[in-house]
Amino acid sequence: MTSTIDQMVLWLDEPGSIDVALVGGKAANLSVLAGRFPVPPGFTVTTPALAGGMNERGSRLSPDLRDAISRAYAALGAGLGSAQPPVAVRSSGVDEDAGDAAFAGQFETLLNISGPEAVCEAVEACWASARSERVAAYRRTHGGGDGAVAVLVQSLVPADSAAVAFSVNPVTGDRGVVAVNANYGLGESIVAGTVTPDSYLVRKSDLTPVDVRIGSKQRMTVRTAGGTREVGVPALLRSVAVLDDRQLAEVARLAIDLEAAMWRPVDIECAYAGGILYLLQCRPVTTLG
Amino acid sequence: METRDRAQHAPPGPGETIPVPPDFPVTWRTAAAENLFWQRDRMHFPDPLPPLVTTLFIDEVFSQAFGYAADAHALPISLAACAQNGYFYQTAIPKGHSPEEMEELGAKAQEALGSAMGRQLERWNTETLPEVREHIAAWDRMDLAAASPSQLRAYLDETVERTLRLWQLHFLTVIPGFPSVSIFEDMCRDLFADDPEFVPHQLIQGIPTKITEMGLALWGLSRQAREMPSVRQILEEEAAADVIPALVRTEEGREFLADFHGYLAKFGQRGDSALCVAEVTWIEDPTPAIKMLKDYVGQDDRDLQAEAEALATEREAAIALARTRLEGFPEQVRGQFEYLLDAAQQGIYLAEEHNYHIDFCGMYRVRVVTRELGQRLVEAGTIEDAEDVYFLTLDELRAALDTFGESDLRAAVTARREEHARQRAMQPPPVLGAMPPGPPPDDPLSLAFMKFFGGPPQISEEPNTVQGTAGSPGVVRGTARVLRSLADADRLQRGDIIVAETTAVPWTPHFATAAGIVTDTGGTLSHSAVTAREYGIPAVVGATIATAVIRDGQMIEVDGFTGLVRILDAV
Repeated sequence: MTSTIDQMVLWLDEPGSIDVALVGGKAANLSVLAGRFPVPPGFTVTTPALAGGMNERGSRLSPDLRDAISRAYAALGAGLGSAQPPVAVRSSGVDEDAGDAAFAGQFETLLNISGPEAVCEAVEACWASARSERVAAYRRTHGGGDGAVAVLVQSLVPADSAAVAFSVNPVTGDRGVVAVNANYGLGESIVAGTVTPDSYLVRKSDLTPVDVRIGSKQRMTVRTAGGTREVGVPALLRSVAVLDDRQLAEVARLAIDLEAAMWRPVDIECAYAGGILYLLQCRPVTTLG
Repeated sequence: METRDRAQHAPPGPGETIPVPPDFPVTWRTAAAENLFWQRDRMHFPDPLPPLVTTLFIDEVFSQAFGYAADAHALPISLAACAQNGYFYQTAIPKGHSPEEMEELGAKAQEALGSAMGRQLERWNTETLPEVREHIAAWDRMDLAAASPSQLRAYLDETVERTLRLWQLHFLTVIPGFPSVSIFEDMCRDLFADDPEFVPHQLIQGIPTKITEMGLALWGLSRQAREMPSVRQILEEEAAADVIPALVRTEEGREFLADFHGYLAKFGQRGDSALCVAEVTWIEDPTPAIKMLKDYVGQDDRDLQAEAEALATEREAAIALARTRLEGFPEQVRGQFEYLLDAAQQGIYLAEEHNYHIDFCGMYRVRVVTRELGQRLVEAGTIEDAEDVYFLTLDELRAALDTFGESDLRAAVTARREEHARQRAMQPPPVLGAMPPGPPPDDPLSLAFMKFFGGPPQISEEPNTVQGTAGSPGVVRGTARVLRSLADADRLQRGDIIVAETTAVPWTPHFATAAGIVTDTGGTLSHSAVTAREYGIPAVVGATIATAVIRDGQMIEVDGFTGLVRILDAV
C-alpha cells in the first residue's frame, strides 16, 4: 500500500497531483501550473479512490469517500474564507488532454455547486458521465485508453468575462499571434459554441491587438442559485468589446508564458473575476496541421 | 371607376408628395419645406395656436432652441417646426448627407448621450435650474406697470430672448431623458425576458416631482377641507364660481382660502395645455382648481399620499429583486444596469420636473409680459381686449409698441379671431409635405422619441375595439368621457375613463378622479402614460382614433396590458 494510493483526494498544489494516472490529464496539467500561474485552488478525487470507493452498483460514493470529499471541501472553504464556497466539478480523464486527443466538452462539468452534499452528488454525476455510452463511443473512435477517470473539484471563478486563447493562430498556424475568443460571464457559452464570441488576434511581440472582431454574443452563461444558465446579453453590451486592450495583453501574456512552460502551443481557458485573471484550463494544441 | 378610386386613395410612396385635403390650405415659406416630411404634434398642441404664439414660439424659438440643444448633445438630426392653420407640424432634418455619414453621426450621438444620461440631474441642479430661476427673477424685476412704451418694447425683446434661452434649456434637459428611460427599459427586457412579471417601469416609479406635488398638494387641501365643516359644506354645496365669495364670509373659510392662495402662488402658473402663454391661468381664474377641490372633497375612501408612498416602496422592492436576480451576472452587466437605472430615474424625474420650472413658471412670465402689453394696447386704442394681443403677430406687436397709440388693429384682430374659430373646426392631416425617402429610422435614439410621441397607428382586427399602446398596466371598465379640452373636464365623475386626444401636464390632478385613461397620442414614455402609472390607473395611449370612434357615455374597457380598448355597448 503506497502513500499515494492511500490518498483519496490530492490538492492541485501537492507534488503527487502531477501524476496523470491518479488525477487524470486535466488536473495533472493544472497541477503542474498551479504554483506558477493563477490557478483557482482545488483538489482531485483520485482514480483509485473512485474506482474502489463507489458502492456495488457503481453509482453511489462510499461513506469513507464522501467523508474525505466533505473534509477536503471544508478545507477548501477555510482557505477561501467561505463556509460553502461555490465550486466547479469536472471529470479529469486519464486519457484526455494528453496532447493527441482533446476531449474538450465530452465529460460532464457541473458549475456553481455549493455545500458538501451537493459536491458529493456532483462528483457522482461526473463519474457517471465519464462512464456513459457517449464517452465510451468517442474513445473507441479516437483510440483512447482504459478510461480511468478522476474528478476535479475547484473553486469556481465568478467570471465577469471568460476567454479561450490559443498561443498560435489555429486557422493559419501563425505562431506570431495569440488568438483570443471572449464573452461575458462564464466560459461555457464559448466552449459550447452557442454564441459568436468576440475574436481578437494579439501580436506576441508587443501584445498589441492586430485584429478585433466584435461578435454578436447573443447569449452568456451566468451563475444562478446552485448552477448556471444561459441568458440573453443586453443589446448595449453586444456591440462592445468584452476585453479591453490591457486585458487582451494580459490574456496573451498568460498564453505566451504557458506556451513556454509547456514547450508547445497551448489552448487555454481563462476568466476575469473582480478584475483578476484566472487560469481555468490549459491543453496542448492538438489540431495544428 | 373602382380602379381609379383605388389609385386615388393609394398612399403616396417614398419621396412622393402627400396630397393636401382641400379644406386645409397649406402655405410653405420655402420650396424646400414642401419636400420635407412634416408630422403633426397632436400630443402637445391638439388645438390651433393663435398668431402671437405661432410667430413667437414656432418662428423665433422652437427650431433655434432645438437646434442649439441638438448640437450640444451631438444629435444627428435637428427639428424644424411650422404652423399650418395654427396647427403645429415638425420635421426632422438630418445633419448627414448619406446613410453612412448618418450612421457615423448616430454612433457619436449615442456615445455623447451615454455620458450625458448619467449627469442629467447634476447638470439640472447645478446649471440649468439656477439659470431658469435667474430668468424668472429677471422677469419678476420688470416694472411693467411703470414702464413707458419704449421700455415695454425693450421688455418684449428681452422676453423673446429669454424665451429662446428657456427653450434651449428645455431641450438640453429632455433630449437625454427619454433615451435614458427607453434604453434602460430595453436592457431590462433583454435581461428579464423570461420573466413576464418583471415590469421595468416599476423600478423608476414613485419618484416625487413638482408635477406629482401639484396633484398631491391639491389633494392635501381637500383633506384639510374635510376637517373644516363650514369649508366642506361650501365646497359641497356652492357652485364653483360662488365658492371663494362664500369662503371669505367665515373665519374658517378665510383660513382655508389663505392656504388655497398659497397653493395657487406655487402651482397656479399653468393653463390647460402644454403652453400657457395665450391661456388664462389658475392664478388669474382659479375656478378649475375649485372644481377639482369640489370633486376631491367627496372622495373619502382613498389616501393619495399613501398611494404615492406605496409606489416608492414597490419601486425599492422591485430594484432589490432585480439586483438579487443579477447577482450571478457579470460585473459589466450589473454595472451597466446600475448606471442605466440611475440614468432612467434621473430621466423620468426631469421629464416631469422641467415642466414645472420651464413650461409652467417660465411661460407664465411670458404670459404676464404679453398680457400687460395687451392691456397697454387696449389703453392706446389699438385693440379692444387685452387677450386680443395673442391675435397679433410678433412683428405687429413690435410695430404697435414702436408707434404706440397710432395704430388700430381691431379689425385685424376680429378677422384673426374668426379665422382661429374656422381653424378649430378643421381636420388637420397627421402628415404634410412629401413622404420620407426611406424607412423610418430604428436607432435607439429614434426609438426613444417614438416611445414619447407614439409610433405609427395600429389597426385593430376585432370589431368594436381600438388598438393603442399599453401605457399603464391594469384592466378597468367605466363610462367614457370624451374630453375635447381640459375645460370640458367638469363632466368627469369618479370612475369615468378619460378619452382625449392628449392629456397634457396640466391635466395631472384629474388622474385622481379618473379610473382609466385613453389617449389618441403618445407612447409609453408620454406624460399621459407616466402619470397614469404614478396614479396606478390603467392607460392606453397612442390609440390614434379613440376620440373619433368612442362616443361620450359609452361603457368601455381599457386593457393597460395589451393596449386594447373595447367598446362594450353602443349608446
